[in-house]
Amino acid sequence: MPCAGVSTRVTLGNVRNHTALRSAFIAGQSLEDILSKTIRRAAMGGIATLGFAALLAGCASAPAETGSTDAAASNALPCMVSDAGGFDDKSFNQAGFEGLNDAAKKLGVEPVTVQSDSETAFAPNISSLVDQNCTLIVTVGFALADATKAAAEANSDIEFAIIDDASITADNVKPITFDTAGAAFLAGYAAADYSKSGIVATWGGMNFPTVTIFMDGFAQGVKYYNEQKSKDVKVLGYDLDNPDSATFTGGFEANDVAKTTAQNFIDQGADILLPVGGPIYQSAGVAIQESGKDIAMVGVDSDLYESDPTYKDLYLTSILKGIKTATDTVVTDAAAGDFSSEPYVGTLENDGVGMASFHDFESKVNPSLQGEIDDLKAKIVSGDVKVSSYLSK
Amino acid sequence: MTIQDAPLQHNHPDSVPPALEKTVVKSWKAPIAFGIFSIIAILLFVVFGREGVSGFRLSTDSDFVQIPTIEAPTRATGIVLTVLLVALAAYSAFLVSRNRPVRLWITVVFALLFLVAFLTWAAAGATIPVPGLLVGAVGLSVPLVFGALGGVISERVGVVNVAIEGQLLAGAFVSAVVASVTGQAVLGLISAMAAGVLVSFVLAAFSIKYFVDQVIVGVVLNVLVTGLTSFLYSQVLTKNTDLLNNSATIRLPRLPIPGLSEIPILGPVLFRQTIIVYILYVAVAVVFFALFKTRWGLRLRAVGEHPQAADTVGINVARTRFWNVSLAGAIAGLGGAYFTMGSVGSFNKEMTAGAGFIALAAVIFGRWDPIRATLAALLFGFASNLQSVLSIIGSPVPSEFMLMLPYLVTIFAVAGVVGRVRGPAASGKAYIKS
Repeated sequence: MPCAGVSTRVTLGNVRNHTALRSAFIAGQSLEDILSKTIRRAAMGGIATLGFAALLAGCASAPAETGSTDAAASNALPCMVSDAGGFDDKSFNQAGFEGLNDAAKKLGVEPVTVQSDSETAFAPNISSLVDQNCTLIVTVGFALADATKAAAEANSDIEFAIIDDASITADNVKPITFDTAGAAFLAGYAAADYSKSGIVATWGGMNFPTVTIFMDGFAQGVKYYNEQKSKDVKVLGYDLDNPDSATFTGGFEANDVAKTTAQNFIDQGADILLPVGGPIYQSAGVAIQESGKDIAMVGVDSDLYESDPTYKDLYLTSILKGIKTATDTVVTDAAAGDFSSEPYVGTLENDGVGMASFHDFESKVNPSLQGEIDDLKAKIVSGDVKVSSYLSK
Repeated sequence: MTIQDAPLQHNHPDSVPPALEKTVVKSWKAPIAFGIFSIIAILLFVVFGREGVSGFRLSTDSDFVQIPTIEAPTRATGIVLTVLLVALAAYSAFLVSRNRPVRLWITVVFALLFLVAFLTWAAAGATIPVPGLLVGAVGLSVPLVFGALGGVISERVGVVNVAIEGQLLAGAFVSAVVASVTGQAVLGLISAMAAGVLVSFVLAAFSIKYFVDQVIVGVVLNVLVTGLTSFLYSQVLTKNTDLLNNSATIRLPRLPIPGLSEIPILGPVLFRQTIIVYILYVAVAVVFFALFKTRWGLRLRAVGEHPQAADTVGINVARTRFWNVSLAGAIAGLGGAYFTMGSVGSFNKEMTAGAGFIALAAVIFGRWDPIRATLAALLFGFASNLQSVLSIIGSPVPSEFMLMLPYLVTIFAVAGVVGRVRGPAASGKAYIKS
């Protein structure tokens, strides 16, 4: 890239690793991105200044010779692009980010990460990471599938991994997906067993397959419970026969809309709630506290009892999705030269997904429930009990 | 944003020569609209009517007076109500053909009947908790009403307030932090107003002193506040949640008003709320009264309609605009406090989720009138919560369509009821004293 373009195209704050200091070109990034990133890294002013100096120097020296001098521990440079949620979404972006950092720490490298503020930033962000000489680019979320596919085709020498998407088949792309329906199935069974009103509820943020897979598995678990125990526990918010009519808040903000939705479910008599979608469980927690009723909640993605103890007395259990571990493994393997394009699917069998313990509810649930859950898990793993989802049709 | 070239209306008696003949404009708009909705009613409630029993629960568990749940046979009720709707549509057509106006009460009754018929149809085999539906509707409307009041004041004085979203978000953020750190609800509310005022200061300074395009300043402010609060949330609040964003200390308790809160249906909806909602009731009344009955209101409107004339009679246009835009920011900021202190209890990134823009729409739909803007905001809140309740009780309609419902209802209401709107003449125009 010619030096003439430097003054307008560069983002000072974006440079995070030393190898990249010399080639701080962020091609085609939107102004908004540049601004926000600059603000975000305002605290790293020192590094930014360094980066600018290096950039000026970069005009003279060839930016191609990277990674030769300061490849202290590994030649690998793992990188990551978030989706619009950002790395602090307390959800899958954050989990992926933590997994990447864990792996990078072990490898002794500094990963390069870019947050996307909108869908239009996906492709420019990926191409800027390509320019940073990343060896592995992890894109977080199925929303980035198109951008990842295009970048992977254009850069066959770079390895890609995409979380929550299985649509790409290419030699240099590893899809990382999680069949959370199995874990949600267990939680649905537990919820049906615990519910006193005989009504449980689930709703999502928006109609995305990664959201509805939880709702779907949960409803199947309740249905299985009804069949096994000849009960009639109802699921509100998700109809197995008509999944298109499921309930969504219309967004992933923990605001009054999410709270009112939870209240409406409580008004219908539900006493177990499964809100699926980033932070919307916080609004549900408030609605439960305000109702003053004996209502429990099922967490999603990580064990919320541990990760967000604000409402810990409300969590019956959590449905676990091992994004962090899986990302860590994939990054570590790729750095060791063991990259494969074979999809990783987290299941109950490989502990990629699972159900957390009952924590405070241990004394309140049926004494035999944990045993039944363990049996059920074994049956799902062996295939005796079928759980369907968009990943395992 | 405003219709600046609206033709002059002939409402100046002294400028019009004595009428020789009274002309009556026949407007078939109402009968046609009623006719369309009657056809929908016939199709939905009669032809494709659903069997079963529709329940309407009128009491909450904690009510002193318990009213039994009303149960109505779905199809029969639908047929009866549809007959009434068709009769009303025919009556309005009759009135228009005789050159008589269709009164507002006919529209209101028609809308209510249609709503009841629709609810009955949707609730076949289920029960709609009426107080819950309305409580949620009011809850969703509160920030919209605050934002709309701020918008009305600001636009009436001649400054387009696109920054309502930013004012709401700033209020939400600052009130959460202040209430969390100090543990004082009053300080939280005051700081929310201060935050709204600060956003307004920027808007006022740029648009009044430096004549920058008001819409552009507003849009930029929204982006700025969104970026700033998101940054601070990620970098500061999440690292110290217990101190800075503690929902236990932030959230306000509900204060039931003794006596009034026991009124069936209305009690739980209006009088078991937080202090912010009670402030809202007062604010709507005060703004309405002050805007149209006081010297302050007259001057404010004069500046927004014809700043030059106001200036000629000695009103300081710039100062009037500056302080009233600030006041608008304070009101909108208080609405922001509802998100954190009144509702969810903790701040979240971009938690206003576009409420400020809906409030802006309510200002225009409400014809720059505080009461009408409030009603527009309530309509939107009601439609939003109706969507949620219907989805939960098992409506067969796909969820994406349901999520459009509030916006569809608002568009229909505006097109059908409001008609042509004319904003304050000088709104959006910088006043350059010559």
